[in-house]
Amino acid sequence: MGERVVILGVGLHPFGRHPDKSIGDLTRVAALAALKDAGVEFKDIQAGFCGHVVQGVGAGLRAFAEVGMTGIPITNVELACASSSRAAMLAADAIVGGVYDLAMVIGLEKMQRGLLGGVGGAEGSYQSKMGINLMPALYALMAQRHMHLYGTKHEHFAQASVKSHRNGALNPNAQYQKALTLEDVLNSRMIADPITLYECSPTTDGASAVILASEKRARQYTNAPVFMDTWAGGTHKYIRGESDILEGPNALIAQKVYAKAGIGPEDVDVAQVHDAFSPGEVFLVEELGFCAQGEGGPFVWEGNTEITGRIPINTDGGLLSRGHPIGATGGAMITELTLQLRGQAGQRQVGGAKTALMHNAGIGGVNVIAFKR
Amino acid sequence: MSTEASTERNQIPIKGARLRLGESPALVGSRCPSCDEHFYPPRYVCLNCYQEGLDEVALSTSGELWTYTVARMALPGTLTAAPYVIAQVRLPEGVQVATVLAGVDPEAVRIGMPLELAVEKASADSAGNDVMTFKFRPVKES
Repeated sequence: MGERVVILGVGLHPFGRHPDKSIGDLTRVAALAALKDAGVEFKDIQAGFCGHVVQGVGAGLRAFAEVGMTGIPITNVELACASSSRAAMLAADAIVGGVYDLAMVIGLEKMQRGLLGGVGGAEGSYQSKMGINLMPALYALMAQRHMHLYGTKHEHFAQASVKSHRNGALNPNAQYQKALTLEDVLNSRMIADPITLYECSPTTDGASAVILASEKRARQYTNAPVFMDTWAGGTHKYIRGESDILEGPNALIAQKVYAKAGIGPEDVDVAQVHDAFSPGEVFLVEELGFCAQGEGGPFVWEGNTEITGRIPINTDGGLLSRGHPIGATGGAMITELTLQLRGQAGQRQVGGAKTALMHNAGIGGVNVIAFKR
Repeated sequence: MSTEASTERNQIPIKGARLRLGESPALVGSRCPSCDEHFYPPRYVCLNCYQEGLDEVALSTSGELWTYTVARMALPGTLTAAPYVIAQVRLPEGVQVATVLAGVDPEAVRIGMPLELAVEKASADSAGNDVMTFKFRPVKES
């Protein structure tokens, strides 16, 4: 058994549209906030990991240089929308192995406006020419299948977005801090049936920073540590006869984490899930075991994922409302759950939260992390 | 199989699609000689049994709709004008193909409906070839 890992500090640059700010500007705010939160100085950080997707070669090195140049190893980590959570897992692996006892993860992204293309189609390919390669369509295809198999209604998906926007309105770092009604969501422009505009996560500029420490090191700075307790990642496994259009092996990876952490879904007090599009929350409450397969629609519709519900999900507004600067999102999920477990989430606080679970997915790659205090 | 009237023009498949043109158009996939698993697009290593060197085969030209969505907006550079139907079609070999539906009212699309391969001209290249693409369309009731 190696060292336990503590989330010692977290920080964000508010998510939103920041056309006049460089990635350095975004990073600096998040990184300095995390250092201050942890109570450590940059010169104490032994390794850096940076999650980003489209910021160019070596962007992580330039980002870290905004707050210091101490000669530490810095590694760029790319796993699409799950880049910075994977960066945190790599940092945590190194801490468990005794390689470092204090590491920093930065997640950052500045994004173009507009629709995102998905997987499997280089420019000029059949997929992109024919218009198959469209990110909202990937979730829409899964949503239609779910509706067909289980009778899930569009309203069920839309309710996830209503809830997320209500939470986002309580989060000063969220891109959208405005509540929406069910009618607002259903009546917004249709993008790919059944997904409307307000059921799509926005394109976002933002940065996140997380400082991880060994328990021994963390005890120098805090007597109430939040542990990054257990984590697992994975990718699609080919199984004869099964379709592979899902975001990844969510249920399988969650089961691994539950087993390793010695908990079950019923022990989770608060969770973050990858709601890039509103059906995501419905799929994930099933795949993470919060309700039975096929019952995700009514489960969300009945309010079980509200801050006051059975299993509060995406208390900070989620990707839908907090925003989704793809490389920074994993770090933002860790930030929210750390605040929740410390009891520092303000109006979004889930009373007495002790155990938290996060799920972050990036085009076939899945990360699940359990946190405890 | 209807193609545009283009008597003397040479036809080539669109980049990224493994499409056999001519008298009996079909998608070209792989069949594993060891375990009989099929794949589209073709590949070298079998994902089911890890056999190397798979056989090239013409896949069934009919299948059924596994799931779909109606795209109401298109990305720049897309040849298909919105709205259009994006579909996952399941072939009898167990292969699932991502495609677009042709000749269908988006409101009339139903999961499970029978579909067949359709070949269409997508564009022309600078050498004067017709660039051919594939879609799937509802099987006409006879």
